Parts: sequence; structure tokens; C-alpha cells
Amino acid sequence: MSTPRLFHGGLAVDADHAAPRRLDVLVGADGKIERAAPEIKPAAGVEAVDCTGKILLPGLFDMHVHLREPGREDEETIGSGGRAAARGGFTGIVAMPNTDPPIDSGGLVRYVRTLAREQSPVPVWTSGCITKGRAGQQLADIADMQQQGAVMITDDGDPVADAYLFRRALEYARHFDLLVACHCEVPELSRGGAMNEGARSYRLGLPGIPACSEEISIARDLQLARLAGGRIHIQHVSTARGLDIIRRAKADGVRVTCEVSPHHLLLSEDDITDYDTNFKMNPPLRTVEDNAALLEGLLDGSIDVLATDHAPHTEFEKNLDFASAPFGITGLETALPSLFSRLVRTGKLPWDILVRAFSREPRRILGLEVADFREGLPADFILFDPEASTHFSADTMESKSRNTPFLGQTLPGAVVQVVLGAELLLGRKQP
Amino acid sequence: MSETGETSLLAAPDIRHKIERIAAQIVEAHPDRPLALVGIHTRGAVLCRRVYDILRARGRDTAFGTLDIALYRDDLDNLGTIPSIRGSDLPFPVEGAHIILFDDVLFTGRTIRAALDELVDYGRPARIELAVLVDRGHRELPIAPDYLGQSMSTARHDHVRVCFTETDGREGVFLTRSAPQP
Amino acid sequence: MSTTAPPARRKDLLDIESLTREEIVFLLDTARPFKDLFDRSVKKVPALRGKTVLNLFFEPSTRTRASFEIAAKRLSADVTNLAITQSSVTKGESILDTVDTMQSMKVDYMVVRHAAAGVPAFIARHTPAAVINAGDGNHAHPTQALLDAFTMREAVGELDGRRILLVGDLLHSRVFRSVSTVARKLDMDVGIFAPTTLIPSGRPDYMQAFSTFDEALEWSPDFVYLLRLQRERQAAHFFPSLREYHHVFGLTRERFLECRRRGIRIMHPGPVNRGVELVDEVLTYEHCLINRQVENGIAARMAVLYWLQPAVTPLPDEKEEFAS
Repeated sequence: MSTPRLFHGGLAVDADHAAPRRLDVLVGADGKIERAAPEIKPAAGVEAVDCTGKILLPGLFDMHVHLREPGREDEETIGSGGRAAARGGFTGIVAMPNTDPPIDSGGLVRYVRTLAREQSPVPVWTSGCITKGRAGQQLADIADMQQQGAVMITDDGDPVADAYLFRRALEYARHFDLLVACHCEVPELSRGGAMNEGARSYRLGLPGIPACSEEISIARDLQLARLAGGRIHIQHVSTARGLDIIRRAKADGVRVTCEVSPHHLLLSEDDITDYDTNFKMNPPLRTVEDNAALLEGLLDGSIDVLATDHAPHTEFEKNLDFASAPFGITGLETALPSLFSRLVRTGKLPWDILVRAFSREPRRILGLEVADFREGLPADFILFDPEASTHFSADTMESKSRNTPFLGQTLPGAVVQVVLGAELLLGRKQP
Repeated sequence: MSETGETSLLAAPDIRHKIERIAAQIVEAHPDRPLALVGIHTRGAVLCRRVYDILRARGRDTAFGTLDIALYRDDLDNLGTIPSIRGSDLPFPVEGAHIILFDDVLFTGRTIRAALDELVDYGRPARIELAVLVDRGHRELPIAPDYLGQSMSTARHDHVRVCFTETDGREGVFLTRSAPQP
Repeated sequence: MSTTAPPARRKDLLDIESLTREEIVFLLDTARPFKDLFDRSVKKVPALRGKTVLNLFFEPSTRTRASFEIAAKRLSADVTNLAITQSSVTKGESILDTVDTMQSMKVDYMVVRHAAAGVPAFIARHTPAAVINAGDGNHAHPTQALLDAFTMREAVGELDGRRILLVGDLLHSRVFRSVSTVARKLDMDVGIFAPTTLIPSGRPDYMQAFSTFDEALEWSPDFVYLLRLQRERQAAHFFPSLREYHHVFGLTRERFLECRRRGIRIMHPGPVNRGVELVDEVLTYEHCLINRQVENGIAARMAVLYWLQPAVTPLPDEKEEFAS
């Protein structure tokens, strides 16, 4: 039996207000918001939670997370991933289907959802593969997966290389109004590459992945989406030109949304100095010009969503020479502190846009309930302390994997509490 | 390190006198034998050159060479910078040669040990003798000079410096006392 | 000959990029007396006596390995060779396991060659031994660049303002990257000539590209440096045939005669593909420096072994990262 809680003294941000504003939130014993107003007096029988100096954000939502279960539970499980999500301030995540076996049937969708209900402190939705076995040859049972709860389909990790098959996938998914998400690259151009092709890859002597691999694939996918109708979502956009292509398609009426990761806003190929595989992911870190263009896109709404592409790998796997190491870095726990320290705190990214892209829009695109401070809605918000800091190390992170470029760093800002319904997900003491 | 200033041990005229005496002793010890004079870089080579010039002026021609012992040192591990190598130059057959090795200061004897090791890598000399300008004691190896300019009593941690015009722009042998290192 | 103070010692030599001009000149100056030792009957000096040099070659190589072995032995070091084929070591834990095993054998120097860029750097972080990169993927081959710079300096004296033309498969060549870098650091002008398919994008601006061999020779390079072409590149669509490659990009008889007329020196890191990169006649040309390069390789590698300084071996319970 839980008590009503009054979260008082804090500043709230949401997608509609640029500046944080004073808001007290009274959450009833049933976990629903009873009242939200600038000043609420504490009453008897109500647990008062002092939020002075803290910022209240609607729960964040990450629509691009690799949870590795089934198959690679050494890297991450649904449980550990869910805990990492909570630690990062996320109250909802979407699992990618490139597990082992890949999620390409209703049965496997159900399996993931069941495990998530049992083991994850935050809701986990799942996506399904576009093609059987993610092999790019035949359509997976799309309708079946949707019926079991899949919220989108993607062969993430790979594009659907066969353009004809991809066209049919878009048309079929359209019938069920199911979102098709795309990992955009031309495999033949990217093959063997380890980082962005350019001056840096030359200096490091590493094979490169040219930007046009992504640009060409985005163009192809959007033309097919225009032909097929239906909704398409471009994942992890990393290039300025790729973003331009998306912008033009949007202007043209194509029903496209797209996402960018925090690392593609904050880091570039210049940060790869010492063959540190914690800077290796696909799509790779590009140039500082791309960073700037992507941030601009986020600010002007051309980019709809922020998503981490959380890709855990064990230390053992990543402890290889750069060219051989697997692609991917984690992101759930570092996302908010890294964006806060480098962009929000410096005024380059206003809170409302962050909330729009990292909470409201991903839910809206997937047809899910939007988290907000409105009476009657289930409580779904986090407390963020801008004066605290978060240290990222093996001892302090929830994820089973440590492959993040921020390993060993202490970043300003910390998620101190996650309020989900009647539950407080993080321990009372600060992380 | 506290320096209490330089003391002059030998002035230019003394140095010239000592070198002439070394040259004379060498001639007396080897009236006819062909000799090879070999100086250890840097100042040993200067000293050797002067003796060589004196002997030549007196009609006594000898072979002349220089030795860089950098590669034969026994303390390379501890050095933060590696000394530049100039290389050795021994333009005469070492095999069967009668060599007189020159160095400016004889101290622990390790430099001479390195020079001996290097010389025998070039061949097997008939004999090697040693000529030094200053012997300051504190030997760590059983090495003694055959021709000596001046013997001096010094403390282990003192600094004895030989200056030649060719290398230092001035002539003199100087002693700098310092406090013992902890 | 440098008269400034010698540069401080490093732990590792991983690439040319990180060396200063002073360090490079110091190494070239130091290689000279090592080369003079070759005329002695006793070619050894005791500078590295008691030290162990491990050759850790993950990629096969007879020439470079032999060169390092001779260099180490001439410094009186003990040498062990670990030739590991690609198939048996493909996972990172094997590299680290190998390195850890070597730790317990108290190896002082590791000479590492690997098909993947960054492996010597990776190993250097995990061992107090001094690590020398003997070639890592397409990234760097610093000792090759040093012996080439030594050879060039030996041939013409000071290299400032001199010109080097690099020809051939630049894209896949770590020798190209390291030699062009060392040339630049020594204030040489760098020209390149190759099919566009084999010219790496992202290369620095200072390289002047020529569209024909004749145009490149008109530029009057002091050195023409030919890079080896691997036959496999044909299958990967970098050029249509070896015949065409030789005809357009090789040192044909006509071009060789032009080089001879101009007194241009020819270099090649070896092994040479006769009839592809050059014609046989080049090898007997008086200004063909190829054999000189091999000879100088030993002296240059001796200088490197002499200069580098392994870190102090930690106690078993105090394992730490070792910065170079």
C-alpha cells in the first residue's frame, strides 16, 4: 500500500515551455497525478518529497535500445537494461530485435514482453524484424508481431538491401499502420570500414565508412516510402547531407520521422585519438560539421527524436584492435548527463526541445501515452539535480556493459529519482 | 644542490706543463716503438690531440684515434636521455698495436673499463697504457694510470671539471664542492 | 650533426607522426655510428646486453624480422621470435594473453607487426616493455621511414627542400604514410603518382598529385619511391590488369632512362615485383638505393633500440597502464 506523495519545491520542464517553471506535483496513492500547480500546500498523510533545486522532467523514452536478451545475456539482459534505463531517467524503452534468435515472430515478441514485465523496473516495448531471421530475404510475420505488441519493425544492424523486398515491406506494414524503422547504409560501400572515411581515418590507417553510404540509403528508403505510402523512421542519422535529404522528403509530404543519438551530437571523429574502441559504433562518429548540422536539425524540428542506440558489449569483446572490435557503445545512463553538461547547461539545447525529442515525440510516433504533468495521468516523471554529478564507472553503472566513451568521467547533473505511478524506482540515496 | 663556488686546481700554465711532462714520459718509456694514441671523447680526445701534436713537433709520428664509449657504458638503463653517439674513429689496425689511452679525469675507473672493452672489440692490441691529466681517487675498479698529470684528493661528491679552450673556451681544472646528496 | 641536447627517451615507437623533427634527426644521427660498426670484425656493442627483445610478428615477414633480429643481436641483446599466424590469433584476448605471458618472461622490448592498425599501440598500453611498431595494418611503419630518411640523407646530404615522389598503391601502404610523414617533418616536398583508385582520401593537403608519370618526372624529384603492388588488388577492382598498371604507373624502361638521365635516385621498400613496379634494369642502376635501404635498416633499428627505454617492471600486484 503506498501513500500519496507531494513533490514540492522543484522546477518542471515540458515540451511546451522553454524555461523551467515552478511546479508542485501531488501523486495519489493510486499513482495518478491528483494535482499539479505552482504551489501546493502539504497535507497530513501525504509524504512530502523536497525537490528544491531539482528539475522535474517527464519520463524520458528511448526508442532505440539493444537489450541483448535472448542470446547475449552476458552483454545485457532485459532486467539490467531496464535498470540502466531507470538510472538514466527513462521510463520507457523500445528493444531492438537483433537478438539471438532475432525477434521475428509473435512468439518471440511475447517472450520479450513477458520477461520485461517480470524483470524490468520500467516498461519495455519491443520492435520486430522486417525480414525473417533478419536475413533480408523474406518478410517476417509482421501482423503477428504487431498483434503480440511489437510497436515497430526494423532490421536494425542492417538495412534491407533488396530494394524490391523493402518496397513490399513498406506497403505491407502500411496496411497495419505499423512504423518501419530503417538502419541506413549501403553494405558494399561500408564493408570493412571501422570509422568515418576522411582525414582522421587516413591518419589512423583505418578503413573508412564513407558518409554517402548513409546518404544514398536514406534517399533510397525515402523514395520507396513515397512510392509505398506508410510511415517510415530513419534511425541514428549521422550525416548533415542525410538530414537534408530527410528535410526535403518531409517538405514533400513523405511521412518520415528520424532520430539522432546524443553521441552524434557531442562527439566527432576527432575524438578518436588512440584507437579506443569505446568510440567505435555504426554509423560512426562523423565530423564536427555534422555535429553542428544535426544539432541545428534537432532545434528546428527536422529531427524528431533523440535515441541512444544503447549497444552493450562486454569488455572482453571490445578489448580488441579498433578494426576488429564490434560496433556500439552504451547510452542509457550517460545520455541525460552528457547532453546536459555539453548542450543544455551551455544554452545550446533548451529543455523543452530535449523533452520534446526525448520524451513526447517518440511516444507519440509509436502511438503510446505521452508522459505529462496533467491531472489524471499516471505519474511518469524524473527528478534531475543540475548541481549534482554522475560518475561513470564499473561500480556505479547499472548496465552490465561498460563500453562508453564517458567511462571514468564525472559529468555534471544526475538523475536522482524516477517516479512511475506509485513507485519510486531509484534508491533513496543519490546515485 | 648547494654550490660553494669554483676553486681553481690547475691554471693554464700548469696544464701545459703537465701535458708536456706526460709527452716526455711517453717518449722516455717508448723511445722507438710505434705507438697509437687514442683519446676518449670528449676531453680525453683533446688531451690526446695535444700530446700527439707535441710528439709530432719533436719528430715522433704516432697513430691517432678517438673513442666514443657511449655504447659501452654500464649505466644506460638509468639515463633519461641517451647521450649522442659520435662514433669511434680508429684509423689504424688495433690488432697488435701499442695503444696509449687518454682521458682528462680518472675517477671510478668505469669509463676506462668501457674503453678497454671497446678497444678489444676492434682487435687484440699488444698493450694498452693509460694517460690521464687528473686522478681524483675513489676508484671502483682496479685501474691505475701509467702517465699522470696531477693526483688530487677530493671528496666523493665533489665535482672536478677540466676545461680546454677547444671545448669550453677556457683553460683550467676546477673543483666545485657540494653538499653530500641525501 | 645535431648539437642541441639529445631528446628525452620514449618508451615506445608507434609511428612517425608523434616524433618531433629533433627526435627524428637524433635517430638519424645516431644510426650513422651504428652503421660504422658494420666494418669492424666484432660488430657487436654491449649496449643492450642482458636485455631481451621479443619479435611478435602476427603477420609473416622474413626481411623486417631478420633486420630487427640482427639489430638487436648487434646490441648484444637476446632475441626471441614469436611468429603467430593470423588464423591462430584473431581474438583480442589472445593478444593480451600472449603479452601477459611475455611479461612473466621479463621481456624488455617488443617488436610488433600486425595486420590491424592500432595493435602495437594496444600492446604498448598493456606492457612496460618498449614497443616498436614493425608495421600495423595501413597505419604506420616508423622504422621503415627512418631507414629511408637515413638512406636519402646519406645519398644527398640535408633533405630540406628536396623532393620525393611516391608511386603506386598508396591506399594500402603504411610505408607511404610513414615515409611521406617523415619527409614532411624533414621539410621535403612530397609528390604522389598513382591511379585515383589507389590514392587515399583524407590525405593531407601538402601532397602534390601528378596525372602522368612524365609530368611527375618533370617536377624533378630527387627520389622516386616505388610502392609494392599486391596482385590481389586487381580482383578488388583497383585497376584492370597488371599489364596496364605497369604500362601507365610502372617504372618502364623509358621512364627509367629518363630517371637515369636526371640522376634521380630510385627507392623501394621491398620485396620488388619485377615487371610491375619496375623493370629489372633498375636494380643494377648505380643510383638504385634499394640494397642500401636494407643495409641501413639494421643501423636505423639499432638506433631505435638504443634510444627507447622500457618502463620499470611493476611488482605483480601493481599492474598499471604504461603511458609512452
